[in-house]
Amino acid sequence: MTLVAAGPTIVERPEVDEETQDSTYIDRPWVVLVWNDPINLMSYVTFVLQKLFGYSLEKATQLMLDVHEKGKAVVSSGNREKAEMDVYRLHEHGLWATMQKDGPKESA
Amino acid sequence: MARRSLPFDFTRRGYRCNLDSDERHLVRRLIGEVSALLTSTVADDPKMKRLFPPAYLDDAEREAESDYQQYMREELVASRLDSILRVDTFLADEFNAQITAEDLDAFTAALNGVRLVLGTLLDVHDDADDDDHDDDRASLHSDVHDDEMNLYNYLSWLLESAVAARMKGWDSKDR
Repeated sequence: MTLVAAGPTIVERPEVDEETQDSTYIDRPWVVLVWNDPINLMSYVTFVLQKLFGYSLEKATQLMLDVHEKGKAVVSSGNREKAEMDVYRLHEHGLWATMQKDGPKESA
Repeated sequence: MARRSLPFDFTRRGYRCNLDSDERHLVRRLIGEVSALLTSTVADDPKMKRLFPPAYLDDAEREAESDYQQYMREELVASRLDSILRVDTFLADEFNAQITAEDLDAFTAALNGVRLVLGTLLDVHDDADDDDHDDDRASLHSDVHDDEMNLYNYLSWLLESAVAARMKGWDSKDR
């Protein structure tokens, strides 16, 4: 699923800089982040990470602890399409997930 | 409060739901309220934003975010209504305690939706913040708030049990 249809409004975006023209930037994978929130149970977060990504209990637990203790964790990565689907599935399960391009400036 | 068994369990015969009729009635009422909220046209407020969070935070991705909210929101609503309908069906009057993995998955998703809404309304916060806010919040507490907090904690306990049963089932067979 790709969501690149033109939006109805053009908002001024003054700082679309050369970086977006840089192939290394374009090639950078997207990362999916899960953010800490006070509502989702730790066991539930672990369960969802196992269910959606097939992670072992150990890996899912470590990611959940990273979310809980550090505020966020990268739970998956890939091209935009895959990342958007992962974010959707996490939203479907009530987790607070976002996606962004991987990189030093934005890394988790 | 004495309980005869865990709300959910996994045995050799499969997944089991041990909710009594009052509990089933309560869960059906709550998921019905979420269903009404999902299909309402209320303007975005904190609980709606929690149900439909942003996918992109970066300003440079404003257009992608707008598209995500436009298209995926419909998918999210449909998915949540599917889960709610499945739970409402298996908790209905012809209730059978033996449930499927799909029923239990739908229950965890639907119940978590209720917790997201209730937790947002109650402004639930992390335990670590308690010391900073206890004094401020104490004056805001009311009996109604306490009742809703008890309900929220009860729903958390139900969800813990559902998740534990599901993970127990995973250990014994394929997901």
